[in-house]
Amino acid sequence: MTTTLTHRYIAASTKNLGAASESDVRAELEGSIADAIDARVEQGIERTDAERAVLTELGDPAILAAGYADRPLHLIGPRHYLTWLRLLGILLATVPPITFIGAALVESLSNDSIGEIIAAGITAGLSAAMHVAFWVTVVFAVLERLGAATRGHWNVDRLPDYPRSNVDRASSIASLSGLTLLAVAVCWDSFIGFARLDAEPIAILNPDLWPWAISGLFTLIAARAVLSVRILTVGPWTTRMAIVNTTLAILFISLIATLLGRGELINPELVLAAIDAGASRDIVRVLALVAGLATVGFASWSIAIGWRGTVNSTNR
Amino acid sequence: MTDRVSLDTHLQEVRRGTVVLGCLQILQTPGYGYKLLEELAQRGFTTDANTLYPLLRRLEKQGYLTSEWNTDEARPRKFYRTSDAGTSLATTLTAEWRSLSTAIASLTASEN
Repeated sequence: MTTTLTHRYIAASTKNLGAASESDVRAELEGSIADAIDARVEQGIERTDAERAVLTELGDPAILAAGYADRPLHLIGPRHYLTWLRLLGILLATVPPITFIGAALVESLSNDSIGEIIAAGITAGLSAAMHVAFWVTVVFAVLERLGAATRGHWNVDRLPDYPRSNVDRASSIASLSGLTLLAVAVCWDSFIGFARLDAEPIAILNPDLWPWAISGLFTLIAARAVLSVRILTVGPWTTRMAIVNTTLAILFISLIATLLGRGELINPELVLAAIDAGASRDIVRVLALVAGLATVGFASWSIAIGWRGTVNSTNR
Repeated sequence: MTDRVSLDTHLQEVRRGTVVLGCLQILQTPGYGYKLLEELAQRGFTTDANTLYPLLRRLEKQGYLTSEWNTDEARPRKFYRTSDAGTSLATTLTAEWRSLSTAIASLTASEN
């Protein structure tokens, strides 16, 4: 007679296996445990004690479950660990301090005390650090579970060509930092507001851009980030990656240019307030020009590093 | 304490591959999980149940073992048997083990 302990053990070790193999594993494990219990009972051990002993010997059902599912028992394994560590180190050393300075600058526009300015900076810096650590780790944990396909077989030709691939690496890291800052800045602007209107925070970006245009922007940011992570973990630029990268950059330019052209990028409330306060109407044009130039500059830089990386890696 | 742990790790490393070879040889005659566990222990390939049971499924998935449910007895059991691929894997592993054992013998011989 199997009792609840065995049933609980089997349920714990066969969950998440997928319906097809689950019933098979369950039936087999049931038999194996019953066999082991019987063997102990034959040696004169009380059945309940035998059951406890057998299950104890089998150990933590989570380990058995991982064995059945062929799942790793670690979050990030040796394949990705060093890349994860380096990237996290660089991002943590750059993004939170920049966020701290940015937040403190914004806060200082509002005539708050020095204590409040520093507190705002620390809060923003800490939350940026948490986001960086969390999301970088999530991306690598997913890479780990997507499995062996990401790296392929290593051979001596893949040895980094010292200064050149450092350029690739450095520009990937710079891109990731830039993308993170852009994403953080957009979120900060939407939820807290960069500008001040009568000492009240107000967003620079048009709130009507939520959710569609902003989602589009974040999709582009995420896709570009995937490319950079690929450079860091797998290897050099390929022509196909440079084409994808160029497409992303052009999509980015068209998104921003369309919004600028329709006058939908910048918060109309802010523009009206600026004009009310005596600014000339040209302020809209100047802002649009600055945003447009920044966009084109950012995108061209991204396109350029993609093609330069491709030329470097195919010229070897 | 550390010595004890590192000794265990080294022993485990040496034994790791031998369990697969043991399974493939013993399962030339069909057998089921618990019986195989006992037989392995009897023949000196001591292994943990929580390593062996997933290993059997992995070997089956890789095509080195085939399986069949036997429901003739009161307790239904999944019987595994070494496939042709499994037999040739066992031959390769045995040859490898012999050459290792010769190599180790030559190491100790040159020492004396």
